Amino acid sequence: MKQLFKPYIFKNILMFLALLFVIKLVWFLIAWLWLPSGGIEHVGQKSRKALYYRVKLTPNESAVPTKPKKEPQRQRGSINDIVLLAIYDTKDITVITVKHKGKTKVISRGDKISGFILEGAGINIARFTKNSKSYEVKLFKDKNKHQNISKSTLQNAPSSTSNKVEKIVGEVVDAGDRKIIDRSLLEHYAENMDDIYKNIGIGELKQDGNLKGFQITFVRKDSPFAKLGVQRGDIIKSINGQEINSYNAAFGVYKNIGSLDNMTLVIQRKNEEMELEYEIN
Amino acid sequence: MQMVKKFFILLLVLWFALLLFMPKQALYYKLEEFLLKNEIKINEKSIEEGLFSLTLYESKVYVKGIKLGTVEKIEFFTLLFYTQVELHTLLLDESLKNMAPTEIDELKLTHAIWNPLNISLDSQGLFGNVSGYVSLVEPHIRLDFNETKSIETFKGSLKQDEKGWFYETTF
Repeated sequence: MKQLFKPYIFKNILMFLALLFVIKLVWFLIAWLWLPSGGIEHVGQKSRKALYYRVKLTPNESAVPTKPKKEPQRQRGSINDIVLLAIYDTKDITVITVKHKGKTKVISRGDKISGFILEGAGINIARFTKNSKSYEVKLFKDKNKHQNISKSTLQNAPSSTSNKVEKIVGEVVDAGDRKIIDRSLLEHYAENMDDIYKNIGIGELKQDGNLKGFQITFVRKDSPFAKLGVQRGDIIKSINGQEINSYNAAFGVYKNIGSLDNMTLVIQRKNEEMELEYEIN
Repeated sequence: MQMVKKFFILLLVLWFALLLFMPKQALYYKLEEFLLKNEIKINEKSIEEGLFSLTLYESKVYVKGIKLGTVEKIEFFTLLFYTQVELHTLLLDESLKNMAPTEIDELKLTHAIWNPLNISLDSQGLFGNVSGYVSLVEPHIRLDFNETKSIETFKGSLKQDEKGWFYETTF
């Protein structure tokens, strides 16, 4: 009988198939023993929105509700009793911080203090009226220069000669119970992330190897971050109700920071939880 | 001579069989596990296995839980001694516009056995053409912007020398 295949060809084909089988078997064993059978799915945090904002300070959107105050019939006092600590003055809003009889108060345009009605403010003065008379109070300058006082723009500046549009540097103004952040400052940091880390250090806070939050590792003196009232060692708990316990949550806040009008920052300092209020204007 | 010929045929069959039977998808899942250790996640819509390649469609890339961008198509291709990863239409998150171009048409990473210590990189997009390398020894990245089109937004993260604009970092 004539052979269809020469024996050595048959042997070679068998060898070839055996080799393929061995390699397949090796890969199968590798996959079975060491390789995962499924991929890793990212389970994103549901984008939670703050249930509420504790304060709504935006001047242009709604009027700030004020409690009717019982004004005393007659108020006595000297203008010298009012110490002007801080000014925030824009086209729409004038807010000043004053010290009066040992108490610090924040008043806005039209408010009264000791019978003196706040009419407006300049770069370093506040103008009051009382009984049709005008009074001016100059900004108190601390020896330690601890005040955070500035005007964000020169739109209201009395000098008509300065028509130049000044570059808004941005400041943080201390208004007593809250701090007013210039929006341009916020926009600057939103655009230049590197500048944030030159002024403030934020490190991971881990528990059992899992990220639990973020802790401030340093705050550069005289930087806007120092003026925000945060300190080294503070743990950032939440911003506007959003818990800051992941990079995603932190980045979510960072991404939307330009559209915020006010911000409530909850921090843990030592064992005490603190709430810091900011208005963005 | 016959022995040498046989040896090379055997080697060729071995190499072909290794590639053919390679559990590419399972190896990709292993890569995902490795990336997860570095807090990088890739979520793909679908995976397609080819003879020598693996293609991921509509992948979302997350770093530390943050979605950095989406890639329309990621192609892994390997001949064992030559490996290439091609990313097509990479859209980075808008918030990164000050650090990197937000739209990259093509990004090609190549590793070859004749240059084992470096991964070469080529990219094209609105910013022009970028070429560079990732050094696996140092470790160090350098990207040279061969053209200076539409780089204004992320110029802040670039440096300049006599050759032009470049990006450099260590990791």
